[in-house]
Amino acid sequence: MTAASARTAVAAARICDPRVDPAPVGWSEFIGTARPHAVWDPDLLRIEGWLARNPPLLVTVHDADGIVAALSALVCRPTRTPRYAPRRPRRGPMWVEVSQPWLSGLPGIVWRPEIQGHRLHAAVRAAERALARHLGPGLVGVFYRGVGPELLPELDGHGRIHRRTDSSAVLDNTFADVDEWLASLSKSRRAGLRRQHRRAESDRTLLIRGGPGRTDIDAAAVADLLNDHRARFAAQAGDTRSPVAAPYVEAFVRRSDVHTLTYHDTDGRLLALNILLDHRDVVVKQHWAALPREDEGRQGLYFDAYVRAVRWCIAHRRPRISSGRGKLDVKTSMGFAPQDVHGVIAPRPVMGR
Amino acid sequence: MRAWATFRRNHGIPCTNPVTAVAHCSAMWNSLAFRLWRAAYLRAVSSAFATVPLYRETWALHGRTDPVLVPGKTGSNGGALPADGVHRRLVDTAPLAGGSTEPDPARGLAGLLTRATHRPSHRLVVIVDSDVTRPPTGLPRGSRGCVLHPDAATAAGDEPVIREVVDTLRRGERVLTVGEGKDLDALTAALPAQLPPPDRVPHHRIDRPGTGPFGLLHDPLLGYLGVLRECGRLHVDHWHVYVRETAGGLAFTVLDRTSPRLVDVLIGGGVPGEVHACPKHGSPVIET
Repeated sequence: MTAASARTAVAAARICDPRVDPAPVGWSEFIGTARPHAVWDPDLLRIEGWLARNPPLLVTVHDADGIVAALSALVCRPTRTPRYAPRRPRRGPMWVEVSQPWLSGLPGIVWRPEIQGHRLHAAVRAAERALARHLGPGLVGVFYRGVGPELLPELDGHGRIHRRTDSSAVLDNTFADVDEWLASLSKSRRAGLRRQHRRAESDRTLLIRGGPGRTDIDAAAVADLLNDHRARFAAQAGDTRSPVAAPYVEAFVRRSDVHTLTYHDTDGRLLALNILLDHRDVVVKQHWAALPREDEGRQGLYFDAYVRAVRWCIAHRRPRISSGRGKLDVKTSMGFAPQDVHGVIAPRPVMGR
Repeated sequence: MRAWATFRRNHGIPCTNPVTAVAHCSAMWNSLAFRLWRAAYLRAVSSAFATVPLYRETWALHGRTDPVLVPGKTGSNGGALPADGVHRRLVDTAPLAGGSTEPDPARGLAGLLTRATHRPSHRLVVIVDSDVTRPPTGLPRGSRGCVLHPDAATAAGDEPVIREVVDTLRRGERVLTVGEGKDLDALTAALPAQLPPPDRVPHHRIDRPGTGPFGLLHDPLLGYLGVLRECGRLHVDHWHVYVRETAGGLAFTVLDRTSPRLVDVLIGGGVPGEVHACPKHGSPVIET
């Protein structure tokens, strides 16, 4: 091994339980280069971990220069008991999902931009070996969710299974202003978006507020609306997400890189909300939740939120907007392009190889 | 005498001297009974932390003491929560598996009545309290329970509950009224003078203790928590309730009800006090 390769070789993977462990050494330098989304903040992971059934472990892979990659690893079990996760992992069968439950269509791995190819491949394998050591013989495998085409070659391999899942919707921001974006859409969609936006703007019974670092938000109302909205749709098999908790929302919406758009009626009731995660590469249009029409919810706010989100991204020169998976037909009609997303399973015998 | 005491201890012969027996009773409380009481409380804390959102959020993110659940986090008031705060977040006191979020202000009455009245049972038990909307459950066989709003206690003759009280007293059967002293006075005054007065046990609030000789410690959120016994001390209903001294005051836990789960609640705005064994009965009493 040459001196140069020894210096750049992946040294070791470490596992941090954000509930009780401090942020990994070198984390602040890592986020300076990798620039993960807000949901990777160890403080948010700590709150999320305590209030989740499948708490995330933060796996970091280090070399001589610091952290090269980080994985959000959710420890999942086949039985879903109505309990929060215990402090120490129990025995019995389990699997790990490498995913970020708050980022639809994006992987649960972030890495330094210069780490590519075999170095990223080696980093992921080192993380798998560390997980196997940490969780013991009950671990049956690792499931990578939200894997994009650029990451797939590094995760795939002999004995591993990968399948294409629902595509995510991404809009490349090449527009000078929102009118140019609207002009790129079909006539009916363009007219519909303008109509819904005008209606929301002129509705005097609607209080629309948006911006980063909101401190005026009732976190419990937001969490209730998000959970109720999610509960209206049939739960998908294998959905390992935990309910959204108010303390998490409270800490989350106060961040300067989290933009929250809220729609209230004149009685102060929260009708709808949209959360946007700012990022220099991919802005994530994250949570959308609204009251149904039978509960006095308003029609058309979904489209109004899209107009506002795209307008903000154009104004701030953000190159891409990801709006996650689901409702792909509606999103493509608004100019978003489907992007392939894969799931990769690494069974225990091939983990780390 | 000392030789006899030594011989008795060495051979496991029970004590027959009443004064010494009480002391041994207290000692027993401090050992086995206290451990069982404490174990029940620790189970409640563990279950609340594992399954109930309110306590998970509070204790995981801010901490608690006695026991400390997250190393390094001790929270404020030892993790106890004020009753009005718990009341505002009742929806989060149900465990993840689901359950009721409605408090039962009449909870625990049935188990305390015998000690509160020195009678095995009454034909009719009337709670006169605006906070209690549902009749007590678990009363002895042959007893019936009902509730009466204090404003209706003066409407003699028109109120079905008062008619029932009058009819029961006319039959020569016993009626027990439970509630605030002034409300019980109003009810007694509204009854026909020729009838014998009903038995009465007044409510004591932790922040407004009464004098006795009878009384029940009541809280609108947690229900009935203790009873004033003939020794003049406020005895905790230790089969169903745990009390803990915290910096914020006495914190009460309902041990046997899982939904809404009420653990370490500071009632009456948090009243400082002490918990110790009654020198006469050996069971835990509180002094504020």
